[in-house]
Amino acid sequence: MHSVIRPNAWVALKLPSGSTKVLQIIPNTTISLGKYGAFPSNLVIGRPYHLTFELEDKLPDENFSRIRVVTTNELYAEVFADEAAPGCDTPAAGANDAVISATDGEEFRLVDDKGNVIARSNHEVIDDNARQTLTQDEIEELKREGNNAGKDVIAKLLLSHTALDQKTSFSLAKYKLLKTKKYIRRFQVLPIDVATFAHWQLEERDSSKIMDMRAEMIGLVGCWGNVHFGGDEVLLPDPNASTDQGDEACLPVDESLLRGRWLVVDDTCGLLVAAMAERMGVLYEAEEVEGETEEQNGTATERTPASTENPNETQPNAPAPPEPTAQQGGDTEMLDVLTKAEKRQSDGKPKQQKPRPSDFAIPYSQTNSITVIHGASQPNLSLLNYWGFDITSPNHPPHPLLNHLLNLTWLQLLKPELDTSYSTPPLTASPETLASWKPSRRGNFHRKRRRYARIRHIVDSTRAGNFSGLVCASTMDPISILRHALPLLAGGAPVAIYAPTVESLAAVSDCFSVPRRTAWVSGSVPEIEGLSNEELERWQGNEQFPLNPTLLQGVSIQTSRARRWQVLPGRTHPLMTERGGADGYVLTAWRAKPAEGKVAAKGKFKRRKVESEAGTPA
Amino acid sequence: MEPATRNISPFLDPGPGTKANSLAILQLSRDNLQPVYLQPATGKHDGYAEGAVVNTRYGSFPHSTMLNVPWGSQIRASKVDTGSRGRKRKREGVDDACRDATGATEKDNEDSAALANDDSATAVKQAVADTSGFIHVLPPTPELWTTSLPHRTQVVYTPDYSYILHRIRARPGSTLIEAGAGSGSFTHASVRAVYNGYPAEGQRKGKVFSFEFHEQRYHKMKEELSDHGLDRLVQLSHRDVYNGGFLVDGKSPEADAVFLDLPAPWEALHHLSRRKPQTLPANSNGAATANQQTEWVSPLNPKKSTHLCTFSPCIEQVTRTVSAMRRLGWVDIDVVEIANRKLHTSRERVGLNLNFDRGVNNSPRDVEEALTRLAEIETRFREHAAKPGDGDEGMDLSDEDATPAAKNKAAGNGSQAPSTEDTSSGTAPWMEGRLITRGEPEIKTHTSYLVFAVLPMEWTEEDEAAAAAKYPIGKEQQVIGAIDKAVRKKERREQLQKQLQQSGNRKSRRKERDAKMAEASG
Repeated sequence: MHSVIRPNAWVALKLPSGSTKVLQIIPNTTISLGKYGAFPSNLVIGRPYHLTFELEDKLPDENFSRIRVVTTNELYAEVFADEAAPGCDTPAAGANDAVISATDGEEFRLVDDKGNVIARSNHEVIDDNARQTLTQDEIEELKREGNNAGKDVIAKLLLSHTALDQKTSFSLAKYKLLKTKKYIRRFQVLPIDVATFAHWQLEERDSSKIMDMRAEMIGLVGCWGNVHFGGDEVLLPDPNASTDQGDEACLPVDESLLRGRWLVVDDTCGLLVAAMAERMGVLYEAEEVEGETEEQNGTATERTPASTENPNETQPNAPAPPEPTAQQGGDTEMLDVLTKAEKRQSDGKPKQQKPRPSDFAIPYSQTNSITVIHGASQPNLSLLNYWGFDITSPNHPPHPLLNHLLNLTWLQLLKPELDTSYSTPPLTASPETLASWKPSRRGNFHRKRRRYARIRHIVDSTRAGNFSGLVCASTMDPISILRHALPLLAGGAPVAIYAPTVESLAAVSDCFSVPRRTAWVSGSVPEIEGLSNEELERWQGNEQFPLNPTLLQGVSIQTSRARRWQVLPGRTHPLMTERGGADGYVLTAWRAKPAEGKVAAKGKFKRRKVESEAGTPA
Repeated sequence: MEPATRNISPFLDPGPGTKANSLAILQLSRDNLQPVYLQPATGKHDGYAEGAVVNTRYGSFPHSTMLNVPWGSQIRASKVDTGSRGRKRKREGVDDACRDATGATEKDNEDSAALANDDSATAVKQAVADTSGFIHVLPPTPELWTTSLPHRTQVVYTPDYSYILHRIRARPGSTLIEAGAGSGSFTHASVRAVYNGYPAEGQRKGKVFSFEFHEQRYHKMKEELSDHGLDRLVQLSHRDVYNGGFLVDGKSPEADAVFLDLPAPWEALHHLSRRKPQTLPANSNGAATANQQTEWVSPLNPKKSTHLCTFSPCIEQVTRTVSAMRRLGWVDIDVVEIANRKLHTSRERVGLNLNFDRGVNNSPRDVEEALTRLAEIETRFREHAAKPGDGDEGMDLSDEDATPAAKNKAAGNGSQAPSTEDTSSGTAPWMEGRLITRGEPEIKTHTSYLVFAVLPMEWTEEDEAAAAAKYPIGKEQQVIGAIDKAVRKKERREQLQKQLQQSGNRKSRRKERDAKMAEASG
């Protein structure tokens, strides 16, 4: 993934001002960077990521800017000059070290000017209002005429500054940086992966949408949740149920096949799910691709600018268009997730024309899956759109998340009998009746049966439990989540809960405090007398014991903060300002399987007076 | 499928419960973890009738009690005869270094244990549960391993490696180079990150190429990796990467990500280039011609940008590393330092009516409580003063005298308070007071500086010409980017509409539209 910029890929454009623009690179369009200029999108398609491009001046007979790759020698020209300057106390790392030479040596003109002009003193006080002799009109004029990607403007600005010789090297560097940010016409194309996207969403878009989740927190939650690839895809066999078979033909859940599944509660609009999917290898489309095929596909897309976002075309191994399978089935209107997913599988196998799966075939992998429990009737995973996955789309092109992402509501999990789509038995009809129906009615019939089978499977497999971990970033009370999620976890499974502020996590941690635990195991809770371990696991909680305090081990809360540094010759220090707001905290623990009966801790404890008193009512 | 799962490392798929000869992490107390390779009880082991035993301050735990139980199980301590064994062995003059059955020593003593098993072929004694003491047995994860592993060097802890792996884009299927394997904490975490199945013959799967300079550490690490079932996912080499570079058997690992935990990363950096770097004298700027030797092979994946992170404790190392990076063409150089804090929650109990538990502050909870108490003392004092026989002396004098007495009395009162007030307050001690969080007593204020950088793909004139031919310009129809949100939304809606129509349509209608589009673009 992410080798070269593909047609219709979502990317982040990093601008000199430090801001990022997230957009889709549609072939045959003009990408506008606002004041920095505009260029044809085809000039970046097929090029590598992370290169720095510079907008060149418009050629007289062209109405767009061409772009060129900026070499790193140009990028760092000033730094190299500083390092070479006498008196620099942090000289270049080993002067005779290996160097990658620039292919062509276009010098950044300021460097030459600078070494001579600056005065290294801070005796003179510089007026706050920069003594810039160029007027705004003149600057605009300079920008309009060809100006060597903004470098001329910057040079002129510096030279026209009357107090330039009074600036210290530090303030000069700052001034130059400020002007460079404003006028230099460079940009960099970054792939939209979770790290880039989260940074952009946090710093430039709506940070509350992702619950102020910083990169540090995404890393911590993923690691402490032990989220990783959970095994090769395992699909249940198609039961080949005929249309007159009902519930009895549904596949039962085979618990022995279920492994590598993570339970998620996500109120970050899907960022958490994306981060987990990335760690499990199901976020990006496979690009098994060698050179030629992919590029051919690239040119194919180019000719049809309207059909953006159709990964079929960027997928070299999917030569079969959607039509054949659909027509086989007879009801073209209702192509949906199932057939698509099925088709995707068939891609890998030699036989292309796989018969259409029956209504009760389960498209979901039994391993390496993410189960999202949501509070609304539909999950809010809108941010997954940036990775080409739209959970609301009934007719979805192939995507790895399709058969690895399961979602159900709290109602379906806890009271499935109240959920209509779970508890209504599937429709049945004999083939003859079916044939007499109109295609649209037939389509609806199949759609309902398929939905029934899918929901049945999701709910039953989730309620079967044995999840490998629980990861959570939710605005709901974590105690209530844990009450219902803990029984579903396998023994030893990790729990990682993110919260922007510490209070809710502290409350969870308090539920597992030593005094609570001691009181619980010492038999001073009358309500739990005589309950078996299974009943205790599903303890519904009371005021004094909101959760069974023996179900989690090693409960701890932590927070992490990355402090960024500026590293320049002679000017190395931590950044002066950084994003404030919510720090972000992570609660981690492991699911324990308490032993049957009373277990006393080792050691000679003086039994506390109050404990015995608390025990007396029993 | 079954035989495959059996070989999977317990770090990647621990299965439902503990297995013999496999790693388990014993949690003795909150932050006290101990790795153990569980052994089936085959006979007397090291003088214990129950087979191998883990002795802790929370009791003795024969391995037999911890085998084949679900992960996370609470294990009761057993009554194990530790005393007579020790005496007996001392008499025999056998070294009893194995008292602390840590994972490492357990392995070392396996031979002697086997001998011990031979001479006493008696049946294994069934473990008898003790009245108190317990531990939990947890499945191994890189986090648990990091906190419990036998230290050989400074360890890259979870707050650092979680951030690093996120930033260097280590994902299932990636190839990662790690130099300075050290104690192996980063190795374990990175294997988990890149793992996407064990490779079949000739298959390319996620893999870690690890390099260690120190010979003893290399051997120890090698042993550990095979014990953990990770040897097919980690290729460990014993090498000085400053001089030796990163190629394995002369072939490129084609790394997507690199982590350098070396004292002088800048000396290894030149190996991590796209083409052979020229060694240039100072201040001579790229005039040298490309003098490429054919045998020079880049260890990096030629088809992707490579992400790099170096881990150095000192800022001087950082400046040299960054300087070298700039000269070697790395971009997006970013230096950060991670500060992690653990928080402990407790209940802050302040009040006059609380009992004298540890951690309880028996001073007034608020002004009202203080006021009540003071008024009470005052009243009592007045009653006392009003008593005949006491009021003979001057008011001033008695005031000074009486105050300490009153204080004593009050203190006495306070101590009696709990018994009288207990029933009225009625809250359990774990619900009392205010819930607070505070940092741990000692925090790590500095671990190391992390330097991140990216090396883009090699991009030559020919590549550019080819791309330019593939994607010709000049047919631009619309502008994207700096247009407002409403327009973009509208466009997207139209797109989706079109897609829906497309997918549901018959061939003829599709053809028609294609023709239309060709007209529009032509």
